[in-house]
Amino acid sequence: MKITVNINLGGYAFNIDEDAYERLRQYLKSIEMVLSGENSAAEIITDIEGRVAELFRMRMNTYKQVITMKDVEEVMAILGSPEVIGGSEPSGSEPGRSARRIYRDADMRIFGGVCAGLAAYLNIDPLIMRIIFVFLIIAGGIGLGIYLVLWLVLPEAKTTAQKLEMRGEDVTIENIKDSVKREFETVRKKMNL
Amino acid sequence: MNTDNTKAQMRKGILEYCILAVLSRNSCYAIDIINELRKAQVIVVEGTLYPLLTRQKNAGLLSYRWEESPQGPPRKYYELTELGKIYLNDLDKVWEELVDSVNQIRGKNK
Repeated sequence: MKITVNINLGGYAFNIDEDAYERLRQYLKSIEMVLSGENSAAEIITDIEGRVAELFRMRMNTYKQVITMKDVEEVMAILGSPEVIGGSEPSGSEPGRSARRIYRDADMRIFGGVCAGLAAYLNIDPLIMRIIFVFLIIAGGIGLGIYLVLWLVLPEAKTTAQKLEMRGEDVTIENIKDSVKREFETVRKKMNL
Repeated sequence: MNTDNTKAQMRKGILEYCILAVLSRNSCYAIDIINELRKAQVIVVEGTLYPLLTRQKNAGLLSYRWEESPQGPPRKYYELTELGKIYLNDLDKVWEELVDSVNQIRGKNK
């Protein structure tokens, strides 16, 4: 037994399983996100919703009255991923070196997050970066100056998109979702929930 | 180099041209266009088409009318405007030139 939700899609009423509804809602929301910035985004989404309604109706008959997760997934496969719809690069394209940027990593910081940020950029352990800086500071004092200058000039990675850029990952909806999930897990562990 | 990416880019480049070419024969519902493009292996998923159609309509290349459908909501039937026909003519010429250029270069490589 499952709870169903009533929705209006393209002017038609559908009875849809709760989990399937959630999946569809996320999908349409993601499409809205990739199209944001386009002035006719609302019109494109109406077209897509109309098509989803049409595909749903083709799956309905006297014996099948409720839209399930399987229907939603089939329809999503026909229409394609939000990234493809938005016309961004097909996922699978390698992130170029230029996609990576240096930020200060406040999540991993000891002082300003400079070493952690550099380490994320170079894809090495932050500890190695710290040892290098401590060595530079002890050896001649120049390390401290470099550190302070970097602290001043490097921006802190605040948004999820910036954090992905810092680690050289593609800024796609999937990656942002994963990253947010990871952060949520960390917070939960810290609070011992 | 990733050949899949290059292929996708090439297809993307000619997609708009192909849509106009399909519509030059008769007015079409989005799914008719998709079926045609899919048969020719220019498009993989339906969703790509909707933003392009809306953009071309906003650019004055296409117009549409509503028609009842037996399966669901009324459908948008698209057709070329006068401007669209002129634009398509231009693109036809560019395409011929491109084919010539590529053939010429490939001929030299033999």
